[in-house]
Amino acid sequence: MERVLRDKKAIALFVLPALCIFVGVIFVPIVWTLIYSLFSGMPGVNFTYYGIQNYIDMFSNKQTVNAIAVNWKYIAIVTPCQVGFGLLAALMVHYSVRKYKTLARTLIFIPTVLPAVAVAQMFIKMYALTPNYGLFNSILDKLGLQSLIQAWLGYSDTSFAALCLMDVWTAVGFYTVIIYGALVDIPDEIIEAARIDGANSFGLFRRILLPMLKTMITTCFVFSFTGTIKMFESATALTKGGPGQATTSMTMNMYQNAFKFNEFGYGSAIAVIILLQCLLVTLIINKVGKERY
Amino acid sequence: MKRFLSLLVAVALLVSLATVTASAEDKFQSHKIKLLSIWDETDPTSNGYILNELAKQYAETVQGFELDYEYVDITEIDQKVTTLMASNDLPELCIYESGVRLKTVIESGQILDLDKALTDLGVRDYVDSGAASLLIGLVDGVGLYDLPLGLNVEGFWYNKAVFEAAGLDPNSPPKTWDELMAACEAIKATGIAPIVQGGADQWPMTRVLNAYLVRSVGLDAVKNAMDGTAKWTDDNYVAAAQMFQDMATKGYFAAGMNTIDYTTAVNMVMSGQAGMQYNGSWVTSNLTSEANLAGENGIGYFNVPLANDSSTLDDYSMNCGNIMMLSSAKYDAAVADFLKYLVTHIGDYAMTNQKSFKGYKIDNMPTDLPVYTQIVGNALSTAKGAFLWFEAKMDSETSTIAQNNIALLYTGEMTAMQYMQALQDSTDKNMK
Repeated sequence: MERVLRDKKAIALFVLPALCIFVGVIFVPIVWTLIYSLFSGMPGVNFTYYGIQNYIDMFSNKQTVNAIAVNWKYIAIVTPCQVGFGLLAALMVHYSVRKYKTLARTLIFIPTVLPAVAVAQMFIKMYALTPNYGLFNSILDKLGLQSLIQAWLGYSDTSFAALCLMDVWTAVGFYTVIIYGALVDIPDEIIEAARIDGANSFGLFRRILLPMLKTMITTCFVFSFTGTIKMFESATALTKGGPGQATTSMTMNMYQNAFKFNEFGYGSAIAVIILLQCLLVTLIINKVGKERY
Repeated sequence: MKRFLSLLVAVALLVSLATVTASAEDKFQSHKIKLLSIWDETDPTSNGYILNELAKQYAETVQGFELDYEYVDITEIDQKVTTLMASNDLPELCIYESGVRLKTVIESGQILDLDKALTDLGVRDYVDSGAASLLIGLVDGVGLYDLPLGLNVEGFWYNKAVFEAAGLDPNSPPKTWDELMAACEAIKATGIAPIVQGGADQWPMTRVLNAYLVRSVGLDAVKNAMDGTAKWTDDNYVAAAQMFQDMATKGYFAAGMNTIDYTTAVNMVMSGQAGMQYNGSWVTSNLTSEANLAGENGIGYFNVPLANDSSTLDDYSMNCGNIMMLSSAKYDAAVADFLKYLVTHIGDYAMTNQKSFKGYKIDNMPTDLPVYTQIVGNALSTAKGAFLWFEAKMDSETSTIAQNNIALLYTGEMTAMQYMQALQDSTDKNMK
């Protein structure tokens, strides 16, 4: 077996099929999209060479610029919240909720397995104002806070906040489970030793747990970022990108341009920009994750 | 000799048998035909149901025929058709939207000239002339490349009980815009929302803006703005957007209307939680159902009220709803035969089973039509002029901007001038 694993030809033989599929499914579409981004119009109808003009047009296209801003605002709020609350929930489940650990983990994880459209429909009803108050407005009504009762999905700022809340609630369970798995791997002796040395809870977290969870937290940030930069189905299902363009992301703008406005080339250019942002931020997260501790 | 004659007869028989067989093979062989649709074929109030049922009836008479019904959500049909067009693989039958989008498909050369096809089949006059005229007008006169699946009038549908409770005469609905505003004020005073639209779906709100725009500026208001004869930022256009915003500010629209979906809005009018709704005659399928708490004669209809003398109450907003187009590449004898069956049967089937007009000749008009269907029939028969919906003549991007921003106009996050300026910027960009 060792001889086989040292043999480069054998290695190539084992790796080749998966590599072919990976190249075919990942790299070929990327190259194809890059080529499409140099064209304007719709393939098969009016596809003409346009050079890099699509990329230049992006800077002057108000809808695209707005979509980029909305997307980054969403990433800046949702990613830290998803991972942060996931970490808090994992710590709570592992160190505080001893008796009902399994039940707590299950309840926290349930939103993660729900379909995005179903969750959105549920939240639409929860945020409702007319004809009947949804959950949030009902609670405000009961608390005597009638001045805060409103159509949460009807205004730009509140609809954005509503979307962020829904997406954090949906994804926290996923990161809780991942970080909990890493917490379980930390030997109890280390924690006991730190306590004996006089570490309080915050000190324990800061100097023992955080460094040991560094790799997992970095991975969670990468997962969360790749999810938030592709913001699409939850926003489409909850607000359809509105009101106005308050919750329209880059992928939604890309979809609109490619399939509604019949500008495949421009849509492809947006896709390339999304890819570059993904690569850049992933590199930064990995670098920061390595340097910090 | 006898032998020779027997041989001759045998050869003659063989030749005639071959001829008969050849004739039988000349008649078309039917096959599976695909229909890409936006309607759930199990919903008895939908066009999908009608098409599916007619296909079943046709299949009983023609061997080998099968309808391959594929449902796509209405929000995805654009993407689906665009993708299929790119690979020149439109299905035999496809539901789509008339207007600018259909014109793009026509220009690609991938869909059938139905004027010619129906004429060749001898059934051209089964398509209602008014419906055909509307469809041809929507593609700037290029020709008839689509089939109607509705012949709708639009206007205000109102709950008569709500009108009575507000002290309004339910048998004398508003005829002018000022009367409409007065009615809104009266209904608002009773604590009921005067007007509710399915704002979450965006297009129901732009319909209200269009209603005032057309009556105040003229029937060709949108067309003129799109072809440069007028500008969206002209004072009278901005005034129409301002009117919409003022109605919102005065509380004439239901609270949070831009978050209410279409179905909820219709139910609110039927149940008396709102007084009026701008809608099309396709809503009669809801009004004739048991879900209508207002009952058989509880909902009334009035045409869009007048704002000045630029039009009359004989001018109605009319449309044919979503249409059907046929792939020219896949059009063969089998498809032609099914097309002929469809066109000659759909008018009667829709009227008998759904009590609705689809834009086709009706040979056997039922005598027991519901009140709501009679209302629509009266409007269709009295209409002398027609105007289109807001987005009808807009390109895709301008249409998207118009619908996206209407929610901001409603909430006041965008001024009337900003709304119209956004439309003008998009029109300038896309019409050059």
